[in-house]
Amino acid sequence: MKNNSNLSIILKGILLENPVFVLILGTCPTLATTKTVIGAVGMGIAATAVLICSNIVISLLRKVIPDSVRIPCYIVVIASFVTIVEMVIHAYVPIIYDLLGVYLPLITVNCIILGRAEMFANKNNIAKSALDGLGMGLGFCVALILMATVREVIGVGSFAGISIPFLENYTVKFFQEAPGGFLVYGVLIALVFKITHGKAPYKKEFSCDSCPSAAFCNKAHCQEAKEEI
Amino acid sequence: MDAFKSLVIIMLSAVFVDNYVLTRFLGICPFLGVSKKLDSAVGMGVAVTFVMVMATAVTWPIQTYILGEKLGYLQTIVFILIIAALVQFTEIVLKKFIPALHKSLGVYLPLITTNCAVLGVAINNINESNFNFLQSIINSIGVGLGFLLAMVIFSGLRSKIQESEIPESFKGLPATLIAASFVSLAFFGFGGIIENLFK
Amino acid sequence: MKNNIKSVISLTAICIVTSILLAFTNNLTAPIIAKQEAAAVNDALTVVLPNGEDFQSVDITKYTLPSTITEAYSEKNGGYVFKMETTGYDVGFVILCGIDKDGVVKGATSISSKETLGYEKSYGDELKDKTLGDIDTVATVAGATKTTAAYKSAIKDALNSFVILNGGTADLRSEEEILADNLNTALPEANGEFEIVLILEEINGIDTIYKSVKNNGFVFVIGEEFIGTDSDGNILTETSETNKTIIENARQTLLKWADSQIDLTKLTDMPTSVEAAYKADNGNYTLILHAAGYGINGGDKYHPASGEPIVIKVTASKDGKIITCKTLEQNETANIGSACADESFYSQFNGKTENDYTEIDAISGATLTTDGYKNAIGDVFTAIKILKGVS
Repeated sequence: MKNNSNLSIILKGILLENPVFVLILGTCPTLATTKTVIGAVGMGIAATAVLICSNIVISLLRKVIPDSVRIPCYIVVIASFVTIVEMVIHAYVPIIYDLLGVYLPLITVNCIILGRAEMFANKNNIAKSALDGLGMGLGFCVALILMATVREVIGVGSFAGISIPFLENYTVKFFQEAPGGFLVYGVLIALVFKITHGKAPYKKEFSCDSCPSAAFCNKAHCQEAKEEI
Repeated sequence: MDAFKSLVIIMLSAVFVDNYVLTRFLGICPFLGVSKKLDSAVGMGVAVTFVMVMATAVTWPIQTYILGEKLGYLQTIVFILIIAALVQFTEIVLKKFIPALHKSLGVYLPLITTNCAVLGVAINNINESNFNFLQSIINSIGVGLGFLLAMVIFSGLRSKIQESEIPESFKGLPATLIAASFVSLAFFGFGGIIENLFK
Repeated sequence: MKNNIKSVISLTAICIVTSILLAFTNNLTAPIIAKQEAAAVNDALTVVLPNGEDFQSVDITKYTLPSTITEAYSEKNGGYVFKMETTGYDVGFVILCGIDKDGVVKGATSISSKETLGYEKSYGDELKDKTLGDIDTVATVAGATKTTAAYKSAIKDALNSFVILNGGTADLRSEEEILADNLNTALPEANGEFEIVLILEEINGIDTIYKSVKNNGFVFVIGEEFIGTDSDGNILTETSETNKTIIENARQTLLKWADSQIDLTKLTDMPTSVEAAYKADNGNYTLILHAAGYGINGGDKYHPASGEPIVIKVTASKDGKIITCKTLEQNETANIGSACADESFYSQFNGKTENDYTEIDAISGATLTTDGYKNAIGDVFTAIKILKGVS
């Protein structure tokens, strides 16, 4: 983190440290809620809101919370924000609530949020943490919408529910189903690698350093990985 | 007899048709992360199954008898705390009393707290499926075994990938994801089998 | 130690603060959510009761309603919407039915169903504008009899519940229950265990005869009347003189049949399709056969097997020539295999012998039914040879 200017904190979340395509975090919602663009936008906004709020609160409490119980504390904070967001969505946008179903409470265990709490908010001041939350959230949104666009346009022949002439007659249902999700995700990661080649801290494998559980997982190489960050 | 049949159906659907990893995308992180070698895949699968059943056994009564409708909004927060506590507890107990088992499963346990399949199954048993206690337990066992099965199959596939030549951009995770796509496609074949099995 | 206490305190504090925060948010959002859901329910209910306004949930535990009813809603104008759960061919499905203040079905729709063919979607429209009086005039759909019959009976339950909720009473018994009640009143000593007596030749005036499983008591059904007789033949139910004569005549016929019946249990080589055999005074044999048609051997997703055999009555001379053949009962697929009950089909066997009984026109589209039928007829000739050897 050589360049700490506020704009770069936001921007790095969108491409160079995109949580979905580069850091490979939050894979479950990325695959599960990208059948439709509307669902993806809903999930993206909900997760971003939780991410910003939890980053702020955790950064605020970083000197108060004892180190030994920090993970349970983070989880409680995150879970409560998730519940608040869930209730608000249920009350004001019930369509999104029905669309996301169980994946809404599961934002709690979205690795991005706990991961950013542990890796960033824990060590930085409130303003920076909020910006980091915003950047990561935007990156998450962009990635979800990209995934969903591919899957909805090819799979149903529509974009955000609006059908596209011609394409709607030639749909490939495969992209709506689970295998299609895996395939699109794999291809997009490869694509992002091609574009950002050499610049992004590309994860060759699914490793401990992006894993939020690394904190309570006592594997030695995880500890090392953490220190590098 | 009918009750038994419905339990068998719940179990088999959870393992094959409604496989959490391959059709619902729950528990993808460990699925992609720990499936490199067969023994670690088995270890993770067993540990997840164990925690799922334990978590269901605790969360179901709590939701039904304590939280109910009125305190329903505390569900997420209570469930995740229970799972985290259970994981810690299991680790301590295993370490102290069955060190051999702890040695083989211990490393996977901490990773499970943030495994969304565990929280997912605890929530789904209550909110989505309205299962009773026994059905919930059976469903959790089924989901756990389904996870184990997916992990084992996938670890076999991955060892093949490592030996093949792939374009530079696809090396590593993208190739793994595309392989996951094939496994998921294979599981599609189970659709409809279970309901017609007992006709 | 000091660290531990600090940890516990801070974790507890965070838990308490967040819980308060959640309770606060819940207080704010709960009424909005409730309103939202009520509006959604209202929308769903208006589909089946278009003029309905201001739906209110009814506490159905206060009334004795048919077991299929799971929820009920009243509306401002006196109409009701009922939610029912029932079982059709495959698995349970959920039906919403709206009834206006005059007891007329205004709409019915299945809101969740895994039924095979989707008849339940269009069938709801056929039940529209029906009342308790004329709902029975709606026919079930051939090929989806079970599904549509279940649908119709659910709507009937809704109409009955409408009567009950308005303070009236309704006969909630199913057809089987009504029959069982009638039989029990006519012959209480049978303890409700009856079997249907197979009627070989039509008996003047009698519709059906039930026999007590335990003893020789009978219940004769004449029109709407159920008349019981005890094992000694005494008529137990009050009835007209004409009916008494009919019953006496029927009892004599039954006795004659019983005398002419051949005990098959000792004949080991008898084909299994032969259920009963009778020998008349003139030396002719009458056989009751159970043929395994589509109902036993068939069955697919669209045309489920009934699991019941085709019951055939054949009278044949002792030299092995069929005199008459008739289908007594069948539960083959409607409009296909069910043609085995048509006279044009079964009368083809009249006059046939062992050598030429297979030369008949098959039922088109029902190979399994035809083959099963033919196999059973083939057994007639074997059976007669065995019976002749005995007597």
